[in-house]
Amino acid sequence: MIAIQATNLSKAYGFYRIFEDLSFEIRAGECFALFGPNGAGKTTLLRILATLQQPSHGQFSVFGQDGVTEKDLVRQSLMVIAHGSHLYDELTGFENLQFALALRGQAFDPKTLKYGLDRVGIGAFGDLKIRQYSAGMKKRLALAKVVIGKPKLLLLDEPYNALDEAGVTMTNLIIQQTLAREGAVLMTTHDRDKAAHVATRGGILQSGHLQHLTREQLT
Amino acid sequence: MINRFIRYIQRYKGWFGGGAALCLLIGLYTGLLASPPDYYQGEVVRIMYVHVPLAHTSLLAYSVLFGGSIWYLWKRDPLVDNMCQAAATITAMFTGLALVTGSIWAKPTWNTWWTWDPRLVSFAVLLLILAGYMMLRRLVDDPDREGKYAAVLAIVGGVDLPIIKFSVEWWRTLHQPMSFSTRGVSISDDLLVPLLFMSAGCWLLFAYMLMIRTQMLYLTELLQAKKGRLLSQTHFSQSAQ
Amino acid sequence: MPFFKTIRWIVWKDLVCELRSRETISSMLFFALIVILVFSFSFSMDQDAARQLIAGIIWVSFTFTGIIGLGKSFSSELQNDCLEALQISPIPKGAVYLGKVLANFLFMLSVEILLFPLFILFFNLDVVEELGILLLVFLLATLGLSAVGTLFSALTVQIRAREVMLPVLLLPLAVPVMIAAVEATRGTLNGDPYAFYSQWIQLLVVFDIIFTVVSFWLFELILDS
Repeated sequence: MIAIQATNLSKAYGFYRIFEDLSFEIRAGECFALFGPNGAGKTTLLRILATLQQPSHGQFSVFGQDGVTEKDLVRQSLMVIAHGSHLYDELTGFENLQFALALRGQAFDPKTLKYGLDRVGIGAFGDLKIRQYSAGMKKRLALAKVVIGKPKLLLLDEPYNALDEAGVTMTNLIIQQTLAREGAVLMTTHDRDKAAHVATRGGILQSGHLQHLTREQLT
Repeated sequence: MINRFIRYIQRYKGWFGGGAALCLLIGLYTGLLASPPDYYQGEVVRIMYVHVPLAHTSLLAYSVLFGGSIWYLWKRDPLVDNMCQAAATITAMFTGLALVTGSIWAKPTWNTWWTWDPRLVSFAVLLLILAGYMMLRRLVDDPDREGKYAAVLAIVGGVDLPIIKFSVEWWRTLHQPMSFSTRGVSISDDLLVPLLFMSAGCWLLFAYMLMIRTQMLYLTELLQAKKGRLLSQTHFSQSAQ
Repeated sequence: MPFFKTIRWIVWKDLVCELRSRETISSMLFFALIVILVFSFSFSMDQDAARQLIAGIIWVSFTFTGIIGLGKSFSSELQNDCLEALQISPIPKGAVYLGKVLANFLFMLSVEILLFPLFILFFNLDVVEELGILLLVFLLATLGLSAVGTLFSALTVQIRAREVMLPVLLLPLAVPVMIAAVEATRGTLNGDPYAFYSQWIQLLVVFDIIFTVVSFWLFELILDS
């Protein structure tokens, strides 16, 4: 089953072109690691796939749903962990988790939510306001969303930033769980070593083109 | 690969410009020299031949902006966005001129440069909305959003305009009776001929200006896109090395 | 995700955040107090002058404090990129709009209700007999401001110079609300018979309906990419 199918994706900001004619596919059960220098357009590509930006040209589909015309269906199947934590400072960790999942149309009983927090190791801080969380704890809370929300497609923008060693292991574990239930993962990262544990495929986005990596290059 | 509407504009715009010049010349001659002075207002009435056509041309121009904005949100045609941007600037020009001529007319007739006449107030609010529109266009970083946000403002403004006009009129009639109104002037043929020519002239002038400005905006973007392609090619090849 | 549940979640989130931080309402209140003070200095009013000017003063201060609240409504979503999260949630964007309108309406109205006794106190107003109608005017005008203001708050939050642009875009469009609110308030405070100013209340109702519907449809374009 094909998770992401992109055909001739191009993005230009006004008259400045970031990338052109990207075509690739990612299958269910695959974790694709996207490398590349700063400013190559990795985050832009991720944001387009997350339906946060429109491609200038080209199409893409997520599990068969068109990414431009059927945005809401695409949004139902994906989850994004990006630079911004998507958390409200005045709400507690527990409430943030509850709110974020409610917006995805998923209502869970408190016990499940609590379990999610425990799984990522911040169960003790569930009733603390996000204002008091550290960057790493926020990132873990985002992982808790994935643990409970079980998205079919996971888009990660620099997932290893701000995480300690245990956090990295946990991230990789959650990626593997997503793959195990026939989900797909796309991540951008600079950290080849950490990504090498979970990535099944990889590519370098550079000069506006995507260059696929062989298995040997990846590890 | 220039858009075919731009080709039409390039071919036919001269007719509009020429027609506008001709109508305005005839209108100004008949209005300012050939027609008799008004019984009540004397020579002062002649500014009406400039003011009234300017005023309803600005309303026509806003309708074009309003319709264009709906069309743009529906079809997302970048050329329509250029047209809207052009229309807004020209509408602002006509509205501004209508306000200035209205104010000049007010001086001899009501003995004041500014009066809170409902029509003047409505036009002033319209000018504020258009000023906001033009500022908004400059402040959006993402070009995809620029057209969309501008269209939203133009539509809300268009829906609001009749309500503004209505509420201002009510408000004034409540506090003072309507001052002198053009409706009091009986329209004789002597007045009608220059008025018609001036109106036709202003409308043609609006169409002509809309055409050249749309064309200019479109070609500027095309040029920037070409430049951008060259830039990104050098960027791509440099970083590949 | 059902429509009304989304509205409820958005309102819940805004209210809980506000109750805990009290940022928006307290800044609105302080600003309004300063505005009232400035007005009373600049007009040094006796009771007759107050009767003439008070309706205008009330609505100038309500509108400017309202703009503070409206601006915060979406600029608070910029923290931690929460706006992005709203954009990519599979929820009807119209429901987000209605939730935000409702939350802003509640914030503005509670500030107005807290301030009104101060107006009575500072400007020696006779305690009004027609308090019910006055409340109706407050409700309708605040809803109108909130309906257009929420749309433009979401629009300006994503551009440069947003603090300036919200009032620049909103105030000309809010002219009918301002006129109608001032006239109706003046009518009630003067103790005029209802028929004298009922037209303004009708105008407010029409404005509210038209702009809630128009903004509801346009909001999706603004929130979505």
